[in-house]
Amino acid sequence: MDNVAISTEHLSRRFGQFVAVDDVNLRVAAGQFFGFLGPNGAGKSTTIKMLTGLLAASAGRIQILGMDLTGNAIEVKRQIGVVPEGMALFGRLTGAEYLNFVGRMYGLDRDTASKRAAELLEFMQLVDQPKTLITDYSHGMQKKLALAAAVIHGPKILFLDEPFEGVDAIASGTLKAMLQRMIARGATIFLTSHVLEIVERLCSHLAIIHRGRLVAQGSLDELRAGVEAQAAAALPPSEPGAAVAGEKLTLEEIFLRIVGGTGGADRELSWLG
Amino acid sequence: MAGLTFSRGTRGQFAAIARVRWQLFGNSLRTLRGRFEMVSRIFIALAFAGGGLGGAMAFGATSYFFASHGKIEWLAFLLWPIFLFWQLFPVMATAFTENVDSSNLLRFPLSYPSYFLIRLVYGAFDPATAMGCFWLFAMAVGIGFADPPLFLWAAVVLLAFATVNILLGRMIFAWVERWLARRRTREILGVLFFLIIISFQFVGPLASRYGGKRPPGMTRVTEQVLPVERLLPPGLAAAAIAQSTEQAAVALGALGLLGGYAFAFFALLHLRLRAQFRGENLSESTAQSKTLARGQSARYAGWAVPGLPGPCAAILEKESRYLARSGPILFTLVMPVVILLIIRLTPGNSGKGDGFLVHAPDLAFPVGAAYALLILTNLIYNNFGPDAAGVQFFFASPVRLREVLIAKNLAHSAVVAFEVVLVYLGVCFLYRPPAAGATLATLAGILFALPVNLSIGNLLSIYSPKKIDFGTFGRQKASGSTQLAAFGSQAALFGIAAVVVLASRMFGRIWLATVLFLVLAAFAFLAYALLLNRAEQMALDRREIMISELSRA
Repeated sequence: MDNVAISTEHLSRRFGQFVAVDDVNLRVAAGQFFGFLGPNGAGKSTTIKMLTGLLAASAGRIQILGMDLTGNAIEVKRQIGVVPEGMALFGRLTGAEYLNFVGRMYGLDRDTASKRAAELLEFMQLVDQPKTLITDYSHGMQKKLALAAAVIHGPKILFLDEPFEGVDAIASGTLKAMLQRMIARGATIFLTSHVLEIVERLCSHLAIIHRGRLVAQGSLDELRAGVEAQAAAALPPSEPGAAVAGEKLTLEEIFLRIVGGTGGADRELSWLG
Repeated sequence: MAGLTFSRGTRGQFAAIARVRWQLFGNSLRTLRGRFEMVSRIFIALAFAGGGLGGAMAFGATSYFFASHGKIEWLAFLLWPIFLFWQLFPVMATAFTENVDSSNLLRFPLSYPSYFLIRLVYGAFDPATAMGCFWLFAMAVGIGFADPPLFLWAAVVLLAFATVNILLGRMIFAWVERWLARRRTREILGVLFFLIIISFQFVGPLASRYGGKRPPGMTRVTEQVLPVERLLPPGLAAAAIAQSTEQAAVALGALGLLGGYAFAFFALLHLRLRAQFRGENLSESTAQSKTLARGQSARYAGWAVPGLPGPCAAILEKESRYLARSGPILFTLVMPVVILLIIRLTPGNSGKGDGFLVHAPDLAFPVGAAYALLILTNLIYNNFGPDAAGVQFFFASPVRLREVLIAKNLAHSAVVAFEVVLVYLGVCFLYRPPAAGATLATLAGILFALPVNLSIGNLLSIYSPKKIDFGTFGRQKASGSTQLAAFGSQAALFGIAAVVVLASRMFGRIWLATVLFLVLAAFAFLAYALLLNRAEQMALDRREIMISELSRA
């Protein structure tokens, strides 16, 4: 793979006896819109925290844009943008003050930070209430602001932890438009989300983590082919091709087959009848 | 309330709520911080128990004295402080926190009477109610010992008085909760209540100063206030007990009025809780502020601070904005001058003349400056507390934690400097300009104490951070371990300062204190710089704990 933006080797993270991330080897090429999927508690957020320097790895190596994260943390952080879990906003600033603050923390001069902040507020439709403190923003407004803050310095890689969680269709549309623009100008996006329809529509490549281990990685077509091949292999020789007959598998179907099962949907509750 | 039946289902719901509170308590002890908090709560409970017991003895003995000397109507002098404590203390102590949204309970199939009762019962489990009830019980016992036939009647009246207090307290909370649900009204209320607290500080000094003289106007006011006082719950309760033997009808009427108060408070509480029960949303909503006019630019340029790199200037600006938008911090800044004013108004030990600082005005500046530094430790010792989940940004940004700490320390140093100037001006205005020697020694002392406090503050901010809301009044203390460390370090600092001052007095040369403080300051700055270099790695090692502590809901 040429021009690797993100790579990990044997990345692991333990919390006491619990292994949250176990020997993960990731490869994300530059310019990819990469979806990182997994069930709840699979290790997605832990991985993204390690990739962005918010959490130390217990073992393994992380390379971002060819630089080792441990040895070049500051330089790596200069090249990336992050929307972490919980968004990490400063509630008692206004949107404009916050974006200016973030811009200057990433080394932009006052004038550039000010210009970009104003543009971003306009683009994200957050310009209407300049005196409103972030703590008074709605959830969707906060998500938009967090994304604006993550891109203000023009990062080469964007890490987004559940950017569409709790966001309405209008705000979601704005966020998607922004992300598409980022990809168009050559940035790499690493995104975790539970909304598989959005991931399917946006992401060119995917990885699936389950119980801390990376269980699949590749383009959507590669993942689909893998699942279909597995299904075909599992069928008796008398019914060749039955597994691949019919419509293409959706990402949700691929995901469920890879992580194993229906999530209990086929089970019954004794008291529910 | 007629529908309140203790059916099996209702009892189950009550038990479930009690159980979940117990489980929350038990789970909080799993962490070291939780255990520290528990120890600190035990100390607070012991202090309350001491206050409660002492108060009970005092109230009981005074009631006995009044009853045995035929001065039962003077019970009002005891009932008023109990009434004020009962109503004001819980509001001051707890009202300005982010309250638990009681509407959470409403998603369960609770009947309205159960909901009402839960709000009444769980809300009444507070120190003020416990102490108030205990004090009233002690009063009843005191009256009973002095005048046994009066005991039963006094107990009934005091029980009615306690009921009025419980209902009034819950009613106030329910209504205040409505106003506290929104940040803006919460902050306005916070400011109002702090003004009340500060104004209470002046009652004692002013009463001592003017109490003996009793100007003619005061007598007139007293004459007008007394009839009103007799119609309020403490006055009614005192009248109901005092008139029971001679004017039974008046006593019954007073008790009836007390019952009327209880009913009115009950009705107002019902009004509020009923609205909540019917689905009124008290949660924070998007506040609307002035919108930008068409064509108006949203462009805003950050601060330029000469000599500071961009990120440091940005952090300095952010810290300053946070401080300037914080009601509690602004009050903290005013407090040293207010304290100097209170001391100025407080008479001396003889009850005549002026407070001790008037006789030793050169002490006013060091006392005010030391007090300012002391109250600012809450700010300095929890650097990242106001950032809450925003602390993640510092770890994700390409700025070294060392620079973040320097910028935060600069902001806090600027606050200390501002505060010292304010205290100096206050001293000049209220007393007289302090002598040059005392001023220099005080400034040198601050130069020593500040880097020490900043160093300890940086360490504690990394090792024991606690999320705080700069917009919320009350319960905004650092973690228990930080408070303990703060107490120890302040004791040590004051001890060193005392030794330095005593040494300079022994030699009769005040400039010696300045020199000694400057030497100590040089060591303190060195220690600060050394620690700052290590703080970066310490913060990185503890980033996970810091983030999780500061991101708590």
